[in-house]
Amino acid sequence: MSDRPDMAAPVVLDRARPDIRQFAAQAKLPGLVFLALLVLGLLDPRIVSSGNLWNIAIQTSYLALFAMAQTMVLLTRGFDLSLGFTVSLVSVISAMVMTGSGDMPILWGIAAGLGVGLLIGGLNGFLIAGVGINPLVTTLGMANIVMALASTVSGGFPVPGIPEAFTEALAEGRLIGIPVPILFAALCFAVLFLVLRFTVFGRGLYLIGANPRAAKAAGVRTGRVVAIDYGVCSLLAAIGAMLLTARTGSGEPNLGGNLTLESIAAAVVGGVRLTGGEGGVTAALLGALFITVISNAMNLMQVDGYLQQVLLGLIILASLILGRDHKKR
Amino acid sequence: MSPDTLRRRFLETGGIVILLLVAVAAAAAIIEPRFLNRLNILNVLRNFSFLAVPAIGQMIVMTTGGFDLSVGATMALASVVTAAAMAAMPDAHGLQLLMPVALALACGACVGLVNGTLVARLSLSPFMVTLASLSIVAGLTLYYTQGIPIYGVSDAFVYAIGRGQGLGLPPVLLLAIVVIAIAIILQRRTALGRHFYAVGGNVGAARLSGVRTHRVLITAYVLSGLLAALTGVLITARIGSGQSTIGGTLGLETIAAAVIGGVSLRGGSGRAENVAMAALCLTIIANAMNLTQIDSKFQTLVLGSVLIGALAFDRIVQGRRANV
Repeated sequence: MSDRPDMAAPVVLDRARPDIRQFAAQAKLPGLVFLALLVLGLLDPRIVSSGNLWNIAIQTSYLALFAMAQTMVLLTRGFDLSLGFTVSLVSVISAMVMTGSGDMPILWGIAAGLGVGLLIGGLNGFLIAGVGINPLVTTLGMANIVMALASTVSGGFPVPGIPEAFTEALAEGRLIGIPVPILFAALCFAVLFLVLRFTVFGRGLYLIGANPRAAKAAGVRTGRVVAIDYGVCSLLAAIGAMLLTARTGSGEPNLGGNLTLESIAAAVVGGVRLTGGEGGVTAALLGALFITVISNAMNLMQVDGYLQQVLLGLIILASLILGRDHKKR
Repeated sequence: MSPDTLRRRFLETGGIVILLLVAVAAAAAIIEPRFLNRLNILNVLRNFSFLAVPAIGQMIVMTTGGFDLSVGATMALASVVTAAAMAAMPDAHGLQLLMPVALALACGACVGLVNGTLVARLSLSPFMVTLASLSIVAGLTLYYTQGIPIYGVSDAFVYAIGRGQGLGLPPVLLLAIVVIAIAIILQRRTALGRHFYAVGGNVGAARLSGVRTHRVLITAYVLSGLLAALTGVLITARIGSGQSTIGGTLGLETIAAAVIGGVSLRGGSGRAENVAMAALCLTIIANAMNLTQIDSKFQTLVLGSVLIGALAFDRIVQGRRANV
């Protein structure tokens, strides 16, 4: 949508009044976020207090990381249904390494976390690009495997006692006045934005999503690009998982429970298409912001958690139906 | 016959599933002799029914090129509705007990109707639509129960359906066999069955040849919702209470059974008897792991591995095709 490169665009762009139409399409979601904040702020002034706005920004950065990870594979017509459980497993394993004995436990913990992420992503990538199994089923199977590991390696219990230096640095720390999670999300956003727009790899992802055969014919090494893409996705999930672990202060086997659903929801609400080749990290970021604003407000208004789940489903449906005219154009 | 046609025949008739079934059953019997115990076999067959019935629904949706992720949530909804309705009419007996069941089935059909309408009329992605309805239905069910089981299920209902026997077999198995038989006849002998394949193979072509594609798609989702609800009712009869959590992994297992049973994710192919055999395989694996007291959490690991392994094997036997 917003940062869709023209090169990968499979449809003829509307040349008549491109500025107005494109602007309207791009401004829709930020406008919605603003509107939501305005209405919710009128309902409950606490929502727009500066403390809570910071809170929203921090919460958004976690979801945005996962939504960006999901977007990376959605672009190639893929899926990562194992994302949520990857977050759980990374959390548990990095916490176990950190609380274990040895020199520099924090560094080893981070390395273990990133390693687990890369391993899962690499396996997904190998099965999808190398063996040629459907991404949906591959990551569904992987989700089952990873879930089983996440809920058994620590006996199913949270792993407490994470070094304070880790939580202080990644959860409570600030750099030039900005909380660290926001910095991480911003950094990943910037890198991915540039990669998608300016690198052969990034353009390749759009081409594969738009038309895999044409991409191959055009000389894109589709297998390799897709495999790396799944690695990137899981790596991003691992980074987000460790930031979340720092925030909760323990390794949690249930940390990622709903994140698969939420990451897909955020990406789709932001305008990433499941048919591939459309959307980008900006869409993921905006979608994550929108969902976070809504759920933050519901939390403040003490809406029942289960009802929030119902509302999330309705939001997904609404965004699917509203985004439909865009496709038909 | 050339080796190539032989290989194709083997794949078309679900040869892999039969092999897998024999291998799994033999392994289970060798590793754990108690597997062949009469009571255990009955147990396996009962659990098989709980998986096969919704898997048939999943298969129908998948042959149309779709997906139904809301199966597990619909089961839970049906379970809670059945129990709540029975608790509301404690004096009910005999055929009156069919009312809560009918209500639960209607709820399931409604979920399917909404799914199907959104997929067919608005041409939305089946994956996203059913993901959203999974979230909505599960959320509503959990909100209503707050996660607490609903008691008050009629004893007569529990003894007749859940724990009774007919022809020496559990009634749920007989029901499952009927469902599978109907599905086989539907696929082989009826226009609707062929239309499912046609819509999954090529919607445009199907529409041009006069298939009412919208109606066919909606019917597929309604059937899936209906069968999921039926499973929810049967499980309620078995456990004697309405629970908002019964759908947990069953929804995913239906997809696994369908996929291992050879249903193509692109739509247009899939056979009920193969899906039923795949469901039996998965049930035997789970049962064998229970008997050998393997942590139930590890069972999901095996489920995932079997799913990936079966597909990888399938892919390798078929030879690679362009599939990114």
